Amino acid sequence: MTPFPILSLVIFLPALAALMLPLVRDDRAIRWFTLTALLLDFALASGLLLAFDSESAAMQFRESYDWVPALGIGYKLGVDGISVLFVFLTALLGWISVLASWSAIQTRVREFMISLLAIQSLMIGVFCALDLFLFYVLWEAMLVPMYLIIGIWGGDNRIYAAFKFFLYTLAGSLLFLIGILVLYFAGGRTFDMLALMGQPYAFPTQAWVFVAFLIAFAVKVPMVPLHTWLPDAHVQAPTAGSIILAGVLLKMGAYGFLRFSLPMLPDASVYFAPLMIALSALAIVYGGLLALAQSDIKKLIAYSSVSHMGFITLGLFTFNMNGLSGAVIQMFNHGITTGALFLFVGLIYERTHSRDIPAYGGLIKVVPLFGIAMAAFLLSSMALPGTNGFVGELLVIAGAFGSTGWAAGAAVVGALIGAAYLLGLYRQMLLGEVRLPEGAKMWDLNAREIACAVPLLVFVFWLGLYPKPVLTLLRATLEQLLAQVIGTGA
Amino acid sequence: MPVDFLPVFLMVAVVSGLALFIFTLSALIRTDNPYPEKNRPYECGVDHVGEASAGLFKVQYFVIAILFVVFDVETMFLFPWAVVLKDMGLFGYIEMFVFIVLLLVGFIYAWVKGALEWEF
Amino acid sequence: MDTDLIAASVRASSPEIIVIIGACAALMLSLWPHQDQQKYLTWLSLITILLASAQTLQLSPRPVNIVETTYSGMFVVDAFATYFKMLLYLGTALTILMSGKFLQTEEAVKGEYYVLLLFALAGTMIMVSGADLLIIYIGLELQALSIYVLTGFLKTRGRSVEAALKYVILGAFSSGILLYGLSLIYGLTGSTQLGVLNSALATADLSEPMLILATVFLLVGLLFKIGAVPFHMWVPDIYEGAPTPITAYLSVASKTAAFAVLLRVFMGSLIGLEPLWSSGLAAIAVATMALGSLVALVQDNIKRLLAYSSISHVGFLLLGIIAGTTSGMSAILLYLLIYTFMTLGLFAIVILLHRDVRAGEPLTLFSGLAQSHAGLAFMAMIFLFSLAGIPPTGGFFAKFYVLVALIDAGHVTLAVIAVLLSAVAAWFYLRLIMLIYIQPAEPTTGSTAAPATGPTGHARAAILLSAPMRLVLLFSFSGTVLSGIFPAWFLAMARQASLSGLGN
Repeated sequence: MTPFPILSLVIFLPALAALMLPLVRDDRAIRWFTLTALLLDFALASGLLLAFDSESAAMQFRESYDWVPALGIGYKLGVDGISVLFVFLTALLGWISVLASWSAIQTRVREFMISLLAIQSLMIGVFCALDLFLFYVLWEAMLVPMYLIIGIWGGDNRIYAAFKFFLYTLAGSLLFLIGILVLYFAGGRTFDMLALMGQPYAFPTQAWVFVAFLIAFAVKVPMVPLHTWLPDAHVQAPTAGSIILAGVLLKMGAYGFLRFSLPMLPDASVYFAPLMIALSALAIVYGGLLALAQSDIKKLIAYSSVSHMGFITLGLFTFNMNGLSGAVIQMFNHGITTGALFLFVGLIYERTHSRDIPAYGGLIKVVPLFGIAMAAFLLSSMALPGTNGFVGELLVIAGAFGSTGWAAGAAVVGALIGAAYLLGLYRQMLLGEVRLPEGAKMWDLNAREIACAVPLLVFVFWLGLYPKPVLTLLRATLEQLLAQVIGTGA
Repeated sequence: MPVDFLPVFLMVAVVSGLALFIFTLSALIRTDNPYPEKNRPYECGVDHVGEASAGLFKVQYFVIAILFVVFDVETMFLFPWAVVLKDMGLFGYIEMFVFIVLLLVGFIYAWVKGALEWEF
Repeated sequence: MDTDLIAASVRASSPEIIVIIGACAALMLSLWPHQDQQKYLTWLSLITILLASAQTLQLSPRPVNIVETTYSGMFVVDAFATYFKMLLYLGTALTILMSGKFLQTEEAVKGEYYVLLLFALAGTMIMVSGADLLIIYIGLELQALSIYVLTGFLKTRGRSVEAALKYVILGAFSSGILLYGLSLIYGLTGSTQLGVLNSALATADLSEPMLILATVFLLVGLLFKIGAVPFHMWVPDIYEGAPTPITAYLSVASKTAAFAVLLRVFMGSLIGLEPLWSSGLAAIAVATMALGSLVALVQDNIKRLLAYSSISHVGFLLLGIIAGTTSGMSAILLYLLIYTFMTLGLFAIVILLHRDVRAGEPLTLFSGLAQSHAGLAFMAMIFLFSLAGIPPTGGFFAKFYVLVALIDAGHVTLAVIAVLLSAVAAWFYLRLIMLIYIQPAEPTTGSTAAPATGPTGHARAAILLSAPMRLVLLFSFSGTVLSGIFPAWFLAMARQASLSGLGN
């Protein structure tokens, strides 16, 4: 118990700002107000990261209050090495999203910013929750603002995309709820995650619950074949929505595997690992092939996400230190890199109103700063050594070679396909003759846009060149996790 | 046990017997002279010609009939109550008082609403 | 006669007596022509309900497990009845508050409206307190007769009158079935008192055809009243035709009282017959949820849509009975409370949007609400998400607790079916939210355009929020939100009411 509820503060600061937003007068003030709130939240989250003791695998900054004591539900918060990293990532992408939608969102700004602040609160809450009920409430409530963001401010086909997103995830989440309830009764009527982790469950229970969790998380990740909502949602969502969706929401699924499936259901995880590895390998290759065939930038990046998320699930189920830390780093990387790519697609779309790849060419000559930054992110996405993507993919592939050779082979193939489509995108859009869609008004990155891009670039190279701090941060937590899976499992 | 219902059966038998007896007797001793006017259906003396929806079929009859049923039931309750009033004492008196007041409220309502007026 | 016993009986039934006196007073007041008559009647009804609720609270058993039986065992005051009565007061009071505006727009202001609502309230109160099948039946009929008239209250509107006629015929039919089952039970056990039934049926031979028939008839009669599939056909027609506040009342208070009877009879007295009805009821619950959710997808009238939505909620509620445990029962109690909040809130918004009964209530009434009335739109969204069961609203916690009870009783498969169907149900609530937040105010000529004859194409006039409406929205909104964020208090109430037993 810390005397000061810092986690609650980080969680509720955006929500409080959202409650105050109806009182703010004009659109300009609303944007500044939101930005300030999220920057403040980011500062708090950074403080959290710095204050975090990476030597310890225990949950830190814990808070615990009764909520519905009759059912064993509590308001319990705490972070370990994994979640503190994602709290930081969420807070970082939060204010970047505000900047990204500064001029892109012109209608109903107030409602947009309220949704943004609300989803920010909920996402941070999900990473901090140590009570399954609380986790579930936040997890599912997240759908609402995202649904509105896609549905109100999205592209032409937004209604369809928003419905698809909502219903896919809802159906998955509800199965997750059933799984939670089964665990609740099997684990002695408590929703306390730490208490539930300590329980040995019978294998049949584990297997059924694992399947329920798998469907819920596989929709969120998304894993093939439950990925079809993702391209629609990404293509239709406004830039900020895409950034949050790719940057944080997709991580929720992988986080779910890390937080629930592996430590709570170790036997079932080991049992289902071949299936998971096969699905991951399939996602890596299939997602890559789909991306190869796209001519819409957003779709291409969306399918590349499917492929990259496959690396993450692959790493998770290798059950060795390399794979796991690779997966977590890749989760963080993917948040940074794909978030940045969506941001840049949004920036170019604001100028040209076209997402058609063949319509572009030689952008690096027209808008050099934009071109260089985008090139850096593309290279990071294809895991060039020296960028963050390299560290993650390398660790995952190394981990996969340690457990399932052929899956590692598939991952290598996937990485090659990734290089093919990303380099193709790079060549077509940035190099060659100058070609622009009709009616394009080009300008290079302005100060606001540079402010979005620079922190992301910093992380791309920092993690690529010196990933040790993050690895140290994760080590203790992941070692404990590994002990929980392997120690009781195989 | 069927024997418990013997009084009921007896009652049924007596009632049907009596009805049969009266009808038979009157059929035997009356004069029989049917003519068209006599065989027409009639409605309390009001001429019954034409469509019911043309206003000839007075809705007031139903209102009156319903009111009749309501106040008829009241009298039906009053009889057994009167028989045992002595045993029930003051409580029985109050109980019936409550009952009548409730009916009275309905009666006032019906009256003020004009349910008792006859419009031609 | 033992005066003490009688005094105790009168005291135990004093809330009902207060309501009936209030109704009589309102009836007299309605005869007095005055321009503020409606206002006086509203206040009189509300004060009556307040007095009755104060009296109910005062009578509420302390400690909670005390059961007070009066009128020679026909009437009971226990924590269960107290909880339900408070729920009914809430539902009726909010209905009365939201009626004023509707009656004015429909030019159907008549004093009898309030009188009949109070009588219906008295009927439902007798239903939840009845410990004798006959008393329950009398309460049910008093309630039903009042509602028949209220359904047809817009005398000049064809739809309203048609709905009333259908309701009378189907209601009488179902009452007949119920009564038949009831008389069979009496024939088999020699008693209509629930307490006696319990012990008489404890040793009964479950394979006796008469007993099966009696149970089936009783169950069918009650399922008719709550509108479970396959006895749901009346629900959409009557919900659509009835004046909107009465629709709200029907879907909340009438259903609540019928559930109270269902719980008291089936989980109390006939619990010994559980093998006879539990599997059938499970099938009915699934069918009810499925039909309600699926048919609602294609509705384009708000009231019909809400009718089907209420059918699917009934299915979910029945799951609590199937769980068969005390926590299943408290889940139903909690669900009904939260359902009252969110449904009445949504109906209040439907009434606010209502223009003219001839125009009907096409879904497009909701379109563009977010632009013209941001606050109302936000409330509507919360109510809809709550109905869909999305956290952190009360609707989620209600469903959650039913699932807890269900899984605790070992019905995991049913729980899975239930959640999948509620994902289907989420679709049509989302559709409404989509209309509110995304569609512009002009009705589109797409598939959602309803055969509206009214001036739906015009820009929305400013909605005037009268004080009673504000009160309704305040109550229902805070209830919906608070029960989601701080469910502990609401849960404690429901558990207390159900843990105390069923008064036999």
